[in-house]
Amino acid sequence: MRRVAIVGAGMTKFYRNAQETSKELAYEATKMALDSCEMKLSDIDCVTIGSAPDAFDGVHMKGEYLSDGSGAFRKPVMRHFVGGGTGVLSPAHGWFMVASGMFDTCLVVAEEKMSCAYPHPAGAFITIFDHTTEQALYPTLIYIFAIEMNRFMTTHGYRKEDIALVAVKNKKNALDHPCAQLPGEVTVEDVLNSEIMAYPVNRLDISPTSDGAACMILAAEHVARRVTEKPIWLDGVGWCLDTAYWCTRDLYYPDYLEVAARQAYKMAGIKEPSKEIHIAEPYDPFTYKELHHIEGLLLAPRGKSVQMLVDGHFNRDGNLPCSPSGGLLGVGNPIAAAGLMKVIELYLQLKGTAGKRQVPGNPTCGVANAWGDLMQVGTVVVLRS
Amino acid sequence: MALIERFQKTTDIGYWEGQIPMNYIYTVGRAGEKFFREIMNGKIFGAKCDVCNIIYVPPRTYCEKCFARLEDSYVEVGTKGTVHTFTQCYETFDGMKKEAPSLVAVIRIDGTDGGLVHWLGEVDFKKVYIGMPVEAVFKAKKDREGSILDIKYFKPTK
Repeated sequence: MRRVAIVGAGMTKFYRNAQETSKELAYEATKMALDSCEMKLSDIDCVTIGSAPDAFDGVHMKGEYLSDGSGAFRKPVMRHFVGGGTGVLSPAHGWFMVASGMFDTCLVVAEEKMSCAYPHPAGAFITIFDHTTEQALYPTLIYIFAIEMNRFMTTHGYRKEDIALVAVKNKKNALDHPCAQLPGEVTVEDVLNSEIMAYPVNRLDISPTSDGAACMILAAEHVARRVTEKPIWLDGVGWCLDTAYWCTRDLYYPDYLEVAARQAYKMAGIKEPSKEIHIAEPYDPFTYKELHHIEGLLLAPRGKSVQMLVDGHFNRDGNLPCSPSGGLLGVGNPIAAAGLMKVIELYLQLKGTAGKRQVPGNPTCGVANAWGDLMQVGTVVVLRS
Repeated sequence: MALIERFQKTTDIGYWEGQIPMNYIYTVGRAGEKFFREIMNGKIFGAKCDVCNIIYVPPRTYCEKCFARLEDSYVEVGTKGTVHTFTQCYETFDGMKKEAPSLVAVIRIDGTDGGLVHWLGEVDFKKVYIGMPVEAVFKAKKDREGSILDIKYFKPTK
């Protein structure tokens, strides 16, 4: 298989209600990515599109709908979709296209427009639950995540006021992100005193619903060397689905992620993740999820991530900066686009072009993950400079 | 950044209201047929995989781990379990404020590997804990209709 590089990236600002249609959002991100590396649409061999449920944008077969805005006119195009995990599967999907030798360049586009669905896009999730044993109870995503958070906290004896530090950190990091929807200086007290959604989840523990798009350009090595002086390599990809019967899982530990991470690490030749990885973008739609995922990515021992957080280990200037972008909690959460935003952050950081967000120490290896469906899909990528 | 926030009034700029008009009739499936017929009898059934030594609740026609067929392996599992984890939820499924919060738990049915998500009743939120023993409370027999709601809720075992 051929080595695959990331040579360009772009994204829109994340908004609660963007005026742009879904395909206009995709166009803005794709155009910016092409411009970032001075490539033209005619330089692109194929396109992959990541987008979560059709029910968000309210357009059935959203991949086809998005294709022209994603630069796919008369090109081989394929859509992938694994719920919230979509945005980090996106580069993996593009990796296949280029690594296989079939194509030299690939546009990887991720888009979500959640504001179309009303009264609230959360309503679209009712049909992901089992239609006969669960839907009659009107489950919500917030309550199943609250259920998971409770199990995670109780198992490890974590305190809510410590977990709230994730929101404080990420929203602060997002102040330096030009595309951020909900950046800000918040305190632990602000998080604890915000509206209760489902115990133990408060309003500020959750990322917002958003509209937005992101795009990344992948290229085979010989093209990458021509396009850029500093290609960033997509050296590891992994993904995994745990059982769809979510009630049978323990929930305190993300097994789905460990399996996916081990696959990506093996491919990238990483033996000791906590030593070899310099920077991480763990998926953080909820505060606890960043910690849950730091443990699942084998970057902290089980039950120890909160102490490391409290000690500042995951700050932008800490030993292992986590979500230096500002994450979903700060930048926003247009589902698939948010996952790809995290991979783009690694790309910018490893390239040394993250501006005010740049972490110190010239990082050379980063990992990002996303998660979704019924809390059971894990997607992971490893990037190197 | 060229993007701007969406206009929220028709008088500001045009938008189009629409829906995906479709309704569904879901079959409960072959394992579901067993599960819901027995629920009407006030019983909870699972399916046992002897190879993997797993009891699935609700029952399934196959083992997802080894792919054995389980249709001849349905077993009654009793109506008692423990609270595996829980929440008290203040929002409706479509993101609106609930009139009264609901108390929800994942119940691990005793002696099985399976769990049901369901409501908790006859207990105050502050008294609930992970590991709490609970049992299913069924509707009156004449009111049962082969639904997961034939179980009204789970209550603490005395």
